[in-house]
Amino acid sequence: MSDTARPASLPAFAALLGREFRVELRTKSLITSMGLFAALCVVIFGLGVKGLMLDDTFRRFVLAALWVCSWFAAVVGLNRAASADRNKGFFSALMLIPHDPALVYAVRLVAAMLWLVLTQALMIVLAVPMLRFDFFDQPLMLGVLVMSDLGVLAPGVLLASATGRARGGEALLTIALLPVTVPVFLGATGATEAMHTGTGSAEAMPFVLLLAVCDAMFLAIGLLLFGKLNEG
Amino acid sequence: MSAKPAQSPLVTLALAGAGLIGALVTLYLSYFYTPVQVSRGTLWVVTPDGGNTINLYESYRIFFVHLPAAYATAVCSTLAAIGGAAWLLTRKEQWQAIIVSCCEVGLAVGAIVLLTGTFWADYAWGSGRIGSGWNWEPRLTTMLILWFAFAALLVLRRAIDGEKAREMMTAVYGILIGPLYPLVSKAVEIGQTSHPRNFSDLLSAPEIATTKHAATVGIMLALASLIALRYCWNRLGQRIAQERAA
Repeated sequence: MSDTARPASLPAFAALLGREFRVELRTKSLITSMGLFAALCVVIFGLGVKGLMLDDTFRRFVLAALWVCSWFAAVVGLNRAASADRNKGFFSALMLIPHDPALVYAVRLVAAMLWLVLTQALMIVLAVPMLRFDFFDQPLMLGVLVMSDLGVLAPGVLLASATGRARGGEALLTIALLPVTVPVFLGATGATEAMHTGTGSAEAMPFVLLLAVCDAMFLAIGLLLFGKLNEG
Repeated sequence: MSAKPAQSPLVTLALAGAGLIGALVTLYLSYFYTPVQVSRGTLWVVTPDGGNTINLYESYRIFFVHLPAAYATAVCSTLAAIGGAAWLLTRKEQWQAIIVSCCEVGLAVGAIVLLTGTFWADYAWGSGRIGSGWNWEPRLTTMLILWFAFAALLVLRRAIDGEKAREMMTAVYGILIGPLYPLVSKAVEIGQTSHPRNFSDLLSAPEIATTKHAATVGIMLALASLIALRYCWNRLGQRIAQERAA
């Protein structure tokens, strides 16, 4: 953050977020690549499990498979955004704005969350008939979904801003992000399994707590370090 | 540029010697001092969550390498996080060398934890066949992920070209590695586990407690010598890079 940088403000946040949406609505590059990737994953998993019996093991497999698809869809989106930044110089321009760089991080995070939630909505719509997935009987899953997305994207947006400039950055982001976000994956799969195997939301609470701790920690690290990671 | 050496080689040599002696003492105590036969009612007869009691017999001797190596991995991940924060605050290149050294040594000690744990699990939790003990148990899995995180930091460093960007990424990723060991430690409380939740029964036997403490000291000395060695090496690399740039 330069000496003349102004603190983040709501109008600046709204203006930058509006810019992210306008760019995406014009190019449709993120939502199409993430959506197609997620849809293909569901179809391929569906092909692989079409003959299996609908029992508890099957349900657990489907839940884990959907989380894995979601994880990699997030990585596809982050890589695509980093690639556009690198090729068109968007990111360098954004870092020149006279505001705290944490504002750019927050805007990027909110936009990435929206694209990921839309992708997950598409996945769920496909998974209900193709993978015989019962999502709608557990409305609390929406909370778990949002918390998990935040837990993956908070370090993801931070790391993608640096790996986007590196050689082989697309593979690097996967290598760097997945180990760090494993606690989130444990929390997400644990909470989902507890809710869908009928043990109730009380059983899911330790996992939800784990997600909350990860979200808070990664968000704080991202807001504090985004400017430093991209300074100069 | 500073002309003085990064660290006295004598300190590294002394630590290496102490570490070697510590490792030999650990091996001697674990094979000749601790009891040969074990009986029910002690921790080396373990009962996994929801499982039947397992008598570990002689295999429990792996414990004296496995547990201190896990402590060493914890030290590596904690030092990497401290190094990351310290570099961001001071921008002294010594901290970069510490982060990298800790990740390199963390890879080695993490591999020891995983290998000894897997071989032990093959006997204790599996059928005895190699690989039969890998049951995706939470602590086992999170330790593997920590190992991947150490590897990821080293890969990231090699891939980023600009020195400033590389140092910044190293520091930030070092900080992100920090919280992973507490997760490994707490993993036994998250899901169903085959690991014992504490060692109080085991440590009530004086020979076991003495050997465990001696092994911890020995492996920590070996860890310190390895970190010191890699630190000297990395500082030398930094100096060569500075000379080339000058």
